[in-house]
Amino acid sequence: MQGRLLLAREGLTRVLRVLRQVVGAPDYERYLEHHARVHAGTPPLARREFYAEFVSWRFGSGATRCC
Amino acid sequence: MLARQMRRLISGLTWTAVGILGAAGFGILALRRGETVSAAWLLVAGVSSYFIAYRFYSRFIALRVFALDARRATPAERLTNGRDYVPTNKWVLFGHHFAAIAGAGPLIGPTLAAQFGYLPGTLWLIAGVILGGAVQDFTILFASLRRDGKSLGQMAKEEVNSVAGLAAMVAILAIMIILLAVLALVVVNALKASPWGLFTIAATIPIALLMGWWMKALRPGRVLEASAIGVALLLLALVAGRWVSQDPTWSRWFTWTGPNLAWAVIVYGFAASALPVWLLLTPRDYLSTFLKIGTVLFLAVAILILLPPMRMPALTRFVDGTGPVFAGKVFPFAFITIACGAISGFHSLIASGTTPKMLMREPDARLIGYGGMLMESFVGLMAMIAASTLDPAVYFAMNVPASTLGPDAASAARKIAEWGFTLQPGTMEALARQMGEATLLSRTGGAPSLAVGMAAIMGGVISGPGLALWYHFAIMFEALFILTTVDAGTRVGRFMLQELGGHVWKPMGRTSWYPSIILTSALVVAGWGYFLYQGVVDPLGGINSLWPLFGIANQLLAAVALCVGTTILIKMGRARFAWVTLLPLAWLASATLTAGWQKVFAGDPRLGFLAHARSLAGSTNPSTARMIFNDRLDAALALAFMAVVLVVIAASAREWWLVVSQRKAPIVHEAPFVETAY
Repeated sequence: MQGRLLLAREGLTRVLRVLRQVVGAPDYERYLEHHARVHAGTPPLARREFYAEFVSWRFGSGATRCC
Repeated sequence: MLARQMRRLISGLTWTAVGILGAAGFGILALRRGETVSAAWLLVAGVSSYFIAYRFYSRFIALRVFALDARRATPAERLTNGRDYVPTNKWVLFGHHFAAIAGAGPLIGPTLAAQFGYLPGTLWLIAGVILGGAVQDFTILFASLRRDGKSLGQMAKEEVNSVAGLAAMVAILAIMIILLAVLALVVVNALKASPWGLFTIAATIPIALLMGWWMKALRPGRVLEASAIGVALLLLALVAGRWVSQDPTWSRWFTWTGPNLAWAVIVYGFAASALPVWLLLTPRDYLSTFLKIGTVLFLAVAILILLPPMRMPALTRFVDGTGPVFAGKVFPFAFITIACGAISGFHSLIASGTTPKMLMREPDARLIGYGGMLMESFVGLMAMIAASTLDPAVYFAMNVPASTLGPDAASAARKIAEWGFTLQPGTMEALARQMGEATLLSRTGGAPSLAVGMAAIMGGVISGPGLALWYHFAIMFEALFILTTVDAGTRVGRFMLQELGGHVWKPMGRTSWYPSIILTSALVVAGWGYFLYQGVVDPLGGINSLWPLFGIANQLLAAVALCVGTTILIKMGRARFAWVTLLPLAWLASATLTAGWQKVFAGDPRLGFLAHARSLAGSTNPSTARMIFNDRLDAALALAFMAVVLVVIAASAREWWLVVSQRKAPIVHEAPFVETAY
């Protein structure tokens, strides 16, 4: 029972991750993984700073959206 | 060995069957006369063609022309930073890229082009995407992928020359202005005198502010959570809109005239460009992306379930150029009216923007670039189906301006009878009541008639909410992502102006300096706002002059992209395959330059800007003077677009000749090869 619950939880996490990527939403957990892998030893940005930086990168110069 | 031969045989038989099925679809679409044709045949013809084109043509381009290299590391792998350079699963990226390229364009263009009958638009959507649009998107994506995700303008400058680079930049800015004006005009026409629609769209602003605050301060970065709340509130606003439209006081509050709505959109565009992005632009972008993907999927399923009959004839008499929705013969005007869905220059900005930075493997470019555009063409087919399922008399009653149809349903019925269609008395009144609108006569711009078609299709599958709710859902869906394009586009235009201004006076280029932000935002908004306002007060409806200008501009940008693509192919030593991009370039340049020439110089005042100005000459009415000025302005703009493209074509052709005749070394500016770790 618990195993199945865990599996469902994992499935949901994956679905949400895909959804985030499709709509171009920031993924803080993915950033943390990347940070731990590449910049191990330095402190990562907090969730709030990460979001602020993501927004200014992605939308700062106007998102590219077609007609 | 035997198993392999068996597999090849099965594959061969399957593809032959798909081919026969597609041919049958085309045959029935083209040959059946005098009775309704099921939309199933249109879907069969389109989808079989897409599959065959993807399987064979895109494979040929991927393997032989581009020689995509699975061993070559992509920018996402080499420059990975967990933010913009992120290796992404190809199906996920397919969805992401599709959401970025598809908007109102593939919905509105086919709706307008349905005045020629469903056949010309359908054939162009299918042939255009396979040989033109998908090739363009794929080529630019490939080129940018090999250059760390460089933009179209940068590639034009580096691979062709600096003249082409500058011309491309000017073309992009000019197209942006016309695009924003015409899209805003579609929204104004859809919301004019429609309290239900206006209330729903107005509600998106406070909803977006709430979402923005939620994601910034309350629960930082929780986009999915905020979007779920936003969508729920939006649906609530949609339902509440009915109540607003029925309450005498509230409905008066939300019944606006065209010019007032135009001002509101202008103020909104300025605010969205000058305010911090997290407040308005970011939340609206997520809201509209969710709505877009959800609605497109639902519409596709609904059409597949219903397979509605198409009541529009295959061809109407208006192929001769006398069409009342917009003037001009089927050639060249079908080919510029439908830009998005067949070939759209604007896509080259996206294929050289965020997408190339996210590809995990180089061969994925085939699915994303070529396949993504096929998907947009499919959206165009759905819009064509939605428009063609309407009674043709209703289609024309909705899409022809009041200056032609006259003041009421009786005059409209007389006019439509002249065209050979019968508008039964009471039809339009009953339809307006069903859709919860005051009137549906002369609701030009394409959005309302598309919404009626969509409401019939969606309501046919899920009838519970009623047609009026589905109609306003469709209007909200279109208006929401058009306004998202308006705010994002204004901001893009502002940044381009700031970059140009920075060359003249350094502080102008500082993108966070407020005086510069205010000035450049105001300039961009004034640019499209001018055309929008003139379109709204234009007695001919505005769409008649602005949509062709937009189509010409968009197709000319595609010509620029194809020039850059051809140059890169030739410099890569693939000159023998240059026909892949030269073929659509030749077609596009001839159709678009012909259309531009006719819009400027045609003797018929309905078609030619200058002839229209001449036909008004001598009048002392001040509004006539304004119309004459606008005609001349539109003519100058069309000429300027054509000149810019001719410059790019000439500059590129010179490069091609220099390289092919070995007077110049074929040097491409690709990023160096690095072996992939995947």
